[in-house]
Amino acid sequence: MRKNWWKALGVVILIYTYTAGLLIPLKPGILSVNPSNLNSGEEVTLTVIGYNTFFTKTESELRAWIKLDNEHAISATKIELVNDTKAHVSFNIPSNLPTEDKVTDASLVIDNDQDGAMVLPSKLTIKKTIDVNPNAEGWTNAPITDLNRKTGFSFPFRGILYETIRNTYFHVCLWFAMIILLITSVVHSFKYLRNFRMEDDQKSMSFTMVGTLFGMLGIITGSIWAKDTWGTYWTWEEVKLNMTAIALLIYLAYFVLRSSFDDYEKRARIAAVYNIFAFAALIPLIFVIPRLTDSLHPGNGGNPAMGGEDLDNTMRMVFYPAIIGWTLVGVWISQIVFRIQRLKEKIMEF
Amino acid sequence: MKKAKIFLQFILFFFCSNLIAQTENPDFARSIGKIYVVVAVIVAIFIGIIAFLIYLDRKLTKLENQINNK
Amino acid sequence: MIVLKEIIYLLRKEILLEWRQKYAISGILLYVLSTVFVVYTSFKKVEPNAWNTLFWIIILFASVNAIAKSFVQENSSRQLYYYSLANPTAIILSKIIYNSGLLLFLSFLSFIVFALVAGNPVKDNFHFFAALFLGSIGFSITFTFISAISAKANNSATLMAILSFPIIIPIILTLIKLSANALRLMQDTAVWKDIATLLAIDLILITMTFILFPFLWKD
Repeated sequence: MRKNWWKALGVVILIYTYTAGLLIPLKPGILSVNPSNLNSGEEVTLTVIGYNTFFTKTESELRAWIKLDNEHAISATKIELVNDTKAHVSFNIPSNLPTEDKVTDASLVIDNDQDGAMVLPSKLTIKKTIDVNPNAEGWTNAPITDLNRKTGFSFPFRGILYETIRNTYFHVCLWFAMIILLITSVVHSFKYLRNFRMEDDQKSMSFTMVGTLFGMLGIITGSIWAKDTWGTYWTWEEVKLNMTAIALLIYLAYFVLRSSFDDYEKRARIAAVYNIFAFAALIPLIFVIPRLTDSLHPGNGGNPAMGGEDLDNTMRMVFYPAIIGWTLVGVWISQIVFRIQRLKEKIMEF
Repeated sequence: MKKAKIFLQFILFFFCSNLIAQTENPDFARSIGKIYVVVAVIVAIFIGIIAFLIYLDRKLTKLENQINNK
Repeated sequence: MIVLKEIIYLLRKEILLEWRQKYAISGILLYVLSTVFVVYTSFKKVEPNAWNTLFWIIILFASVNAIAKSFVQENSSRQLYYYSLANPTAIILSKIIYNSGLLLFLSFLSFIVFALVAGNPVKDNFHFFAALFLGSIGFSITFTFISAISAKANNSATLMAILSFPIIIPIILTLIKLSANALRLMQDTAVWKDIATLLAIDLILITMTFILFPFLWKD
């Protein structure tokens, strides 16, 4: 038991990440607003649908603004709560907007003490019906003040992503674990070329096998997620996805190469050489692919991404342990593969 | 060659599970804040790990048979 | 210095060998010609975008075919003879240099034939030929090393393709982008970054080749 503590640790961490990753709720947010095309100078009632919100269970009044830019906002005139997730919000949009453009993007901001402040960014468009001088009178600014903050653990609410933000813990960490396992495999290949001990070759092969398994799982789960978020199973301009695909091609070829030898010593040597060479050739991809075109993937061109806003502190508390947990479990599985392989080669020797 | 074949089987298997996850009614998949996409991802990982376990199991059974036959 | 002398001797041997069995080189030339012709007859009119991709695909397959034989053509007893005589670094380096030259010749030839048949959309000759040059070197390093690996395995012809194609992807992606720039299909001000990337890839590959080839060679 003392020797196997890390296996238990890996399992405990994975259980923690799965429970926390599934049970911690999303922050309250605005799911939709109808109508979204507004005209200046009209009185309009917006139907706001919230997600995870408690509109009726608050002590303070619900407050709402249409935010034009950082300085200008319009305050709601009347708010009617239907239930916890639905509210009718009326605005009196002045005919004289403090903007130059004919059509303005605006955000909806809602705030109460239970749910904290919620923003639906750039979903509203306001069209100027009459052209008036932007500096003229008739505009009263209602600055957004005293916003509340949601307390307690919650994951960020993002448009398009919604609950699938939880896939960060189940999909993205597989990729990290794969890279760690493949690097370990390359290290063992180096070790083999230095000492020519069969155990190093067997270890290298087992780490590669589990790394390939994780890579496959990463690609499958990634394309399920991508289909839902971006509408395609696959994007060719994406680093992680393509690197994983090419790594899979390389390591499937690695297994074909291994299977074409009868002599164990020769197989071990040549497989180690190929493993190192292929891994070295894989590294430039990190620099090559981002230079090809703009990417859909997180982190490029306004897409939901890691880091910054999208990986907040609560998410980090689940995400980093998930990487460690998957790596530990991956090492455990590779050890089992290694032991089976060692046994097999021992039997073959007799 | 055998190993490559089994890996190919894996790929086919995964693609099937992927298709099952996709043939769901899109409105259903998008209900409750798209939580079913998360479910599909977790199920895919689960199926993958279990399939790998079955592969290891069969490999071990073969070895046991070899030992017993000697 | 000894290594340099060995390289020159081995290079002379390679060229002599090629000269004696002309069927290999003429086979590759015919391969390029017929591929270009097949591509042309099936496309009729080749758009610049397709031209770019097709050109590099033709070069890719011609290179694989040209280099696949480089370690297979000599039987194992003769290889043992070289092993006892020469330094492994000299052997791989001479093969790489020879194959680079061969590929340069091949890719120039394919360019000429392809340009004659399907038109020449290249606007920026310097960048295009820089891509051709660096690409030939990168192809030659990768394919020479992989052909050394696959020569050790039993079914080397298929193995050569499946082992080398995933590895060549970073190079060919950069090459296609560089030549797309040269064809004015896209505008990128940082072309030098791509050339630097190609140089860096070639450097990484040649370093790995030097480190790893001695392990491959000893039997």
